[in-house]
Amino acid sequence: MHSSTSSFERTVPALPWTQLAVAAYLLAAVMSVAWELRVRSQGYAPTLNDTTDLWADRREAVQPDSLVVIGDSRPLFDIDLDALEATLGKRPIQLSIAGSGAFPILKNLAEDESFKGDVVISLVPAMFLTPGGYLEQASMDALRRYKTRSPSQRASHHIAMFLEERIAFLQQEDLTLANLLLDLDIPNREGALVPPRFPPYFHTIDRERRTRMADECAIIGSPMQKAVIASWQRLFKPPAPPTWIPPEVFAEQMQNGIKARFGQTAEAIAKIRARGGRVVWVRFPHTNWVKEMENIGTPRAQTWDVMLQVTGVPGIHFEDYPELAGFDCPEWSHLSGPDSVEFSKRLAPHLKRAFEEQQGTLVAPKS
Amino acid sequence: MLFNSLTFVVFFVVVVALFWAIRSWDWKKNMLLAASYVFYGAWNPPFVLLLMFSTLVDYLAGARMATEERPGMRRVWLVVSLVANLGLLGFYKYGTFFAQNMEGVLVQFGVQYRAPAMDVILPVGISFYTFQTLSYTLDIYRKQLAPAASFRDFALYVSFFPQLVAGPIVRAIDFLPQMVTPTPPRAGRFAWGMFLMTLGLFQKVVLADTLLASASDSVFRYGGKLAMLDAWAGVLGFSAQIFFDFSGYSTCAIGLALCLGFHLNDNFRFPYAAVGFSDFWRRWHISLSSWLRDYLYIPLGGNRHGASRTTINLIVLMFLGGLWHGAAWTFVVWGLIHGFYLVVEHTLRTLFGDPRFFSTLISKIFIGLATYAAVCFAWVFFRAQEFGTAWRIVESMVGVTGTADKLLSTRELLQVGIVTVSLLTAHWLMRDTSLENVAARTPKWLIAGAWAAMLFLLILNQGSANAFIYFQF
Repeated sequence: MHSSTSSFERTVPALPWTQLAVAAYLLAAVMSVAWELRVRSQGYAPTLNDTTDLWADRREAVQPDSLVVIGDSRPLFDIDLDALEATLGKRPIQLSIAGSGAFPILKNLAEDESFKGDVVISLVPAMFLTPGGYLEQASMDALRRYKTRSPSQRASHHIAMFLEERIAFLQQEDLTLANLLLDLDIPNREGALVPPRFPPYFHTIDRERRTRMADECAIIGSPMQKAVIASWQRLFKPPAPPTWIPPEVFAEQMQNGIKARFGQTAEAIAKIRARGGRVVWVRFPHTNWVKEMENIGTPRAQTWDVMLQVTGVPGIHFEDYPELAGFDCPEWSHLSGPDSVEFSKRLAPHLKRAFEEQQGTLVAPKS
Repeated sequence: MLFNSLTFVVFFVVVVALFWAIRSWDWKKNMLLAASYVFYGAWNPPFVLLLMFSTLVDYLAGARMATEERPGMRRVWLVVSLVANLGLLGFYKYGTFFAQNMEGVLVQFGVQYRAPAMDVILPVGISFYTFQTLSYTLDIYRKQLAPAASFRDFALYVSFFPQLVAGPIVRAIDFLPQMVTPTPPRAGRFAWGMFLMTLGLFQKVVLADTLLASASDSVFRYGGKLAMLDAWAGVLGFSAQIFFDFSGYSTCAIGLALCLGFHLNDNFRFPYAAVGFSDFWRRWHISLSSWLRDYLYIPLGGNRHGASRTTINLIVLMFLGGLWHGAAWTFVVWGLIHGFYLVVEHTLRTLFGDPRFFSTLISKIFIGLATYAAVCFAWVFFRAQEFGTAWRIVESMVGVTGTADKLLSTRELLQVGIVTVSLLTAHWLMRDTSLENVAARTPKWLIAGAWAAMLFLLILNQGSANAFIYFQF
């Protein structure tokens, strides 16, 4: 019977492992420093990564009477938390997610019985109304992290934030190996269904998820500004419909999904309103080709106007107010850092008025 | 906590520093036990209680079996251990699967039954530590092992964090003796352990997650018909991904254990250079296949009772092997395909023996590549979420889909192609040797350079730490 002795021992190759380890770690450190210097010379600066953990932190910060901002990348870039706080008396909690459909977040707030605060929702119709797909998945991923993250993931997130605020090459959207490989210019096969690349680094973000456009991106004609514009042109092309569903069936499914989304949104907002919460829609500035495409693809009369009517809450469309309409988006979809502050100062009184309109007007949730 | 997470980096530094700073062997083991519970609890703290329960039951059962002379009572204690362990595994892993299938069966008989939603979260690593503790009680029952010297030693054997959640499944026979005497520190062993950890993380983070995952994920998520090239790229990509993912974890575990002075067995031995399916299972997930062989196949009679009994035993073995991996019929079919392969191989060997020409290099390579292709085919059922996807991919692989979609970018195709060819080449070059032997013959400058390059690429891949595929099992 085996008991207390073991003859099993792994072999250690006969090499000077300690010296090899020192050499390897020193070499790796040199390579890392060189890489850091290189990316800084390209304009990258240390910033947090907008991860699902960062989002989950903010979701956890939501109190019953919080002011919450949800939506896509536009409120993320265009809202200055200080400016809104100064006028509205509450510091907004930024829950918008770039490249997302925000309906799952709205639904989550509606189903949170403790929440009876104020919500600002950005409406980019093609993003908010499209059912399913990667847009909604971005919101679902964030919500899943919020609901299920482990102590270990929390700890990793805090360590990562400490490092990201100091090291530029930790920028995940561009500088991981996977993203560097995406930059390789290798032509694809004719007809390959390869999704477009998301825009390169053009913003910084802090622990409150206040996001600012990188200064270089705000310079018209700069390589970064041109690169972002080029990526919009690829991203705004609608994805090819699935080949395994007949086009007319797919079109009908989408139509039904969009129609249902209006009703689902009204239902969610009514739940928040029934608890005393207040909701305001906002259409944020966008210009040039992006604006043309959105106007063609999602006309205001069929999207914005219908949404306000169906949900019965006020909306602030940037085109309706001269003080909000005059901003120029350097890359056609978002405001520069300084403009976002000014825009937020001008938006805040409108938000205040829109919230006050709903004061004391509780509504019954739609069944 | 994942090996490829920042939390683990801090955890590792603290644990290793404490381990080598503490003088007392008893306190070293106490610290390791506490660290192992912290490591496990970092996922979901309440599940530590489950781990402790399993540990307590098996420790008591082992102790009672060791002192009990009456065969009947020894059997009772074995049954207690089996029921407790397999009961937990059954509830957490197979409860929902069983209830859903029961619904389906009853509907066939016209009975409308709706099983209550169980919403059970699978405790990470439960399949691994359950089999590990079972090996302890089974070995004591078979009088092949003396019980652990103390509850603390046994608890550390069950919860030893380097291999707790995804193996290798360590036998008490191999591990408990290492707890008797303290291990003297050795810088060379420690550094070699660090090298293995780097290699394991590189396999997981760079090769599996960065270079392969996107192609296989895209292909297995796609709902349409795929071009033959894309289907094959997805399947070959997954074949390499699952190897690097799982082998990477095992390599990390072995390296980490070495840093603490413990020795774990190999879990992989260049499996894609296997010549035949029994050879494959001697090289792939060795700790599981040897567990199933020793505690299931041989007790069932193995190949000692004629061809038909051997066939049944192999099918039962691989059926359960498939089910061990996951509560889904796709895993069962994967296991049964491997069972079929083993039966065919066994039959051919029985009929023809091992003809001499099979030992030539050319025929070995030919059979090896056929084995690899057959293994890849089986992976389709392992990876697919449902049979519809699996059939669609199989149809695409054999090119019977007519008009089909080109899904992958040229870059993804190149990544899969380059990594697959490199992987097969490396496995064939190393199939009859070991990593240690190869390292000993490699120039020092090359090892230092490769090590540094792996570290740098790991640093470049910072960010979202993806879970290891085998955590779900």
